[in-house]
Amino acid sequence: MREWWAKVRAALRGRRGLNDDLHEEIEAHLDLVIQENIAQGMTPEAARTLALRDFGNAALTRERAQGAWSFTSLELLLQEFRLAVRAILRSPGFSLVVIATLTLGIGANTAIFSVIDAVLLRPLPYPGADRLLRIGETNQKVHGFSVSWLNYRHWSQESHSFEEMAAFEGTRKTLTGQGEALAARGIVVTSRFFSLTGARPELGRLFNETEDQNGAPDVVLLGHEFWMERMGSNPNVVGATLVLDGKPYQVAGVVAPTYDFFGKPDFYMSLGQVHGAEIKRSAHGSIRVLARLKPNLSMAAAKADLDAVMQHLAQVDPGSEDEHRAYPVPLAELSRQQIRSTLLLLMGAVGLVLAIACANVAGLVLARSTTRTREMAIRSAIGASRLRLIRQLLAEGLVLSTLGGIGGIALAYWCLRALIALEPQSIPRLSEITLNLPVLAFAAAITLLTGLLLGLTPVLITRKLDVVFALKESPTSSGRSSVGQGLRNLLVVGEIGVTLVLVFASALLIRSLIAAQNAPLGFAPDHLLALHLNLPEGSYKSEAAIVNFYDRLASDLRTLPGVVAVGATSCPPSSGGCGDWFYSIPGLPTPGQSDVPVAFYNVVDPSYFSTMKMTLREGRGFTDTDRGSAPPVAVVNDAFARKWWPKESAVGHQIKFGGPYIDGPTYQIVGVVGNVSQLGLDAQAEPEIFRPFLREPSAAMAVMIRTSIDPDQLTSLVRSHVAEADKNLPIQRLRVFERTLGATLARRRFSTLLLALFAGLAMVLAAVGVYGLLGYWVSVREKDIAIRLALGAQQSAVVRWVGSRAMNLAAAGVTTGIVGAWGATRLVESLVFGVSPMSPGTMTTAAFVVLGVTALAAALPAWRAMRVDPARKLHDS
Amino acid sequence: MSTVEDPREPLEFLQGTLEVLILRSLQLGPNHAYGIGQFLERQSDSQFLVDNGSLYPALQRLLQRGWIAAQWKTSPNARRARYYRLTPLGRKQLVAATSKWQRFVEAMGRILAPEG
Repeated sequence: MREWWAKVRAALRGRRGLNDDLHEEIEAHLDLVIQENIAQGMTPEAARTLALRDFGNAALTRERAQGAWSFTSLELLLQEFRLAVRAILRSPGFSLVVIATLTLGIGANTAIFSVIDAVLLRPLPYPGADRLLRIGETNQKVHGFSVSWLNYRHWSQESHSFEEMAAFEGTRKTLTGQGEALAARGIVVTSRFFSLTGARPELGRLFNETEDQNGAPDVVLLGHEFWMERMGSNPNVVGATLVLDGKPYQVAGVVAPTYDFFGKPDFYMSLGQVHGAEIKRSAHGSIRVLARLKPNLSMAAAKADLDAVMQHLAQVDPGSEDEHRAYPVPLAELSRQQIRSTLLLLMGAVGLVLAIACANVAGLVLARSTTRTREMAIRSAIGASRLRLIRQLLAEGLVLSTLGGIGGIALAYWCLRALIALEPQSIPRLSEITLNLPVLAFAAAITLLTGLLLGLTPVLITRKLDVVFALKESPTSSGRSSVGQGLRNLLVVGEIGVTLVLVFASALLIRSLIAAQNAPLGFAPDHLLALHLNLPEGSYKSEAAIVNFYDRLASDLRTLPGVVAVGATSCPPSSGGCGDWFYSIPGLPTPGQSDVPVAFYNVVDPSYFSTMKMTLREGRGFTDTDRGSAPPVAVVNDAFARKWWPKESAVGHQIKFGGPYIDGPTYQIVGVVGNVSQLGLDAQAEPEIFRPFLREPSAAMAVMIRTSIDPDQLTSLVRSHVAEADKNLPIQRLRVFERTLGATLARRRFSTLLLALFAGLAMVLAAVGVYGLLGYWVSVREKDIAIRLALGAQQSAVVRWVGSRAMNLAAAGVTTGIVGAWGATRLVESLVFGVSPMSPGTMTTAAFVVLGVTALAAALPAWRAMRVDPARKLHDS
Repeated sequence: MSTVEDPREPLEFLQGTLEVLILRSLQLGPNHAYGIGQFLERQSDSQFLVDNGSLYPALQRLLQRGWIAAQWKTSPNARRARYYRLTPLGRKQLVAATSKWQRFVEAMGRILAPEG
């Protein structure tokens, strides 16, 4: 304690006095010895020399005596860092290159990691979010489809694995009586939905348990945003009446702002009020179940629990769906599924970029440390311990990487701003991406790691530092340490290999994007305007009314100048799929319960195929007579026809809607049309069945308008004609179709762009690496080159010499890269479209690109080698 | 029968012994670093060779603990030198350490002494 106080007092007084004292004391000490030596008859010079030798290392003694006064570790550390900063400032060029390289590597990694953090890692902000499940039904073939109301009721009453359970389904209704008719999006829920999602009432109340039963009153809750924007934040809204689809509802409350996972519903309705009267266990709406597992219970156990309920029901209430079971999915998975492979690919790519950056920096540090051997040798000769040297190098590495890390975080910040500006929709939860604590911790971790790597690389190389040897060698030749050179070669070969992997992967994605953009659509996408409408049930009660409305609207639109054709569909191309359903082919062997095939369904009017310019392969399309009591007919797509009748015509065969186990009509196939993918431009067309609109009308249709002029010019005219047809009918969407189509490729374009960016970054870094290595190689061989030139070698021979060295590196790198790239194909496979992932053409292209970059990087060192002036060089040395 | 080390090889100070020996040397009166070193070498018949790299830090540690105090003085041959002297606290410490080390040496000797 006393010791500690003495140190503190000394620290406060300043140590200059101590230093002076020690200096003087040692001088006095030496003086005494010299006097004694002289007294023994030595000459003053000899006396002094002997005294100095006997005393030992005076500077070290002073330092160690002073060391007794310092708070050793901390102070030494500070000293190391001061020295490190000085060393870094001494070679600004080297330091800048290192810092810039690390900034790129760490910045890109931090940016991508923050996306991964927001999308994949951060839990949803719901109570017990990691235990929330979304539960659907499965028939072992199709997974996660809707749960029937009765099944939900039994689950919630008879299962024991959940803290809470709620059911919900989306809905769209038309709001009238509040000025212009409005398409409103709502969610129909049971009362527990609110406690599961942590929602609170802002005004009024939420739903209660009695409203989960049949016969609940017609009440509605408003979403916060809807209440603010549409109701002007009216504080007296509770008790008011809203007309939705022509039916009055009383407003019971406003729900406080919630986290945006289920969208931001305009309104909430009670599921009991909508489905409460259901009595059939097989009556499916679009209900899904949300439930929170009890703690420490596995999802498998919960599924077994629900399945037991289903099995029991199959015994007491047998029906067509006795094979159905529960299909739970963690809620958080839903938003992650699609994006996961993309993000992991990007993280892998950006990790490789960091690896290249580190290899580059390690190469630079190695090159410098071999020339610094002399400095280290001198320092160790004047008494610096090996530990001290290691600490020094580590401190330099850490200071460099910290500067790179700070730059990287700044870069990541700007990258994220750009990212959010670039692509707001294709990544879920994108708006939540921030540089938060975990992200910063990640950045700090990779910074520390690269710092250690930088510091330790030269330590490993200078492990056997032979002081005498290092001091005897000339400063330039000491750079040709073979260990360091070999390692640098290896690093550059690795860089070239990794770059090839990245270039190959991004080339695959670029070709996929081109393939997706150029994929035969099966229709003409230009000059097309898509008008999405949804007729409210309240005002269009009969099928005849629906048919009548669309019929009139279509003939009205056809009279507009610039309109060539008008056709309607329930599911336009690339809309992401509008739902599939079971079917079977009468006459073929009946499939087992779990083998019933599924196909996409679509409802189109007679002029749809011609409006879209789809090709009719066989038979006919729909006509005006396919309506009312006419026999049920269907048109199928090419994929469907080839699946069942690869060698004969599909026309004349039959389709049983719903399959053998579910009620449904039987259709006669009258025609086959070319494939048009419902899922998206980068998806193969699945079997699809078209049904005639006039016979089986749908309230929600997309009216496709083919124009001879720029479709943009028609939007306002179309809008006014819809209002003329029904002023209470809101337009769901009116958009030039090519734009919608382009947006479906947004995510692919985004990931391709990023991957290409990383590949480009990798190429630049690898080029810098090759340049650095060769440039160094040439600079230490200038004398050899000068001798060769002096002896009559041609300049071209010198260039060949450097070139062959570059090509050796490149060849080794490309070979490693090809092996790595074959391995990497598995990772990108799911994102590749329209090209073979093992495409040798793509591989060859990528290899040549990388070879080209290597050659470019080698050009400058080769030129420098060629320009060596033998006379001057040999004269200088 | 034992392997005896070369008697001319100087001994190294065990942990903590140098401090005690410095205190002992100052019991005779104030002295400077060189004098202390000389004293220790002489008294030990040159069995101990004092390394300045150890002596100076040890002196600083003793100063910190308040066992010795330092003062610039002029030596008998008219040279300025830094003289160290025992403080009362250092004197107490020396007594305690001396008895401890004597017990230690005795015990070591008893165990290492050849039997019979």
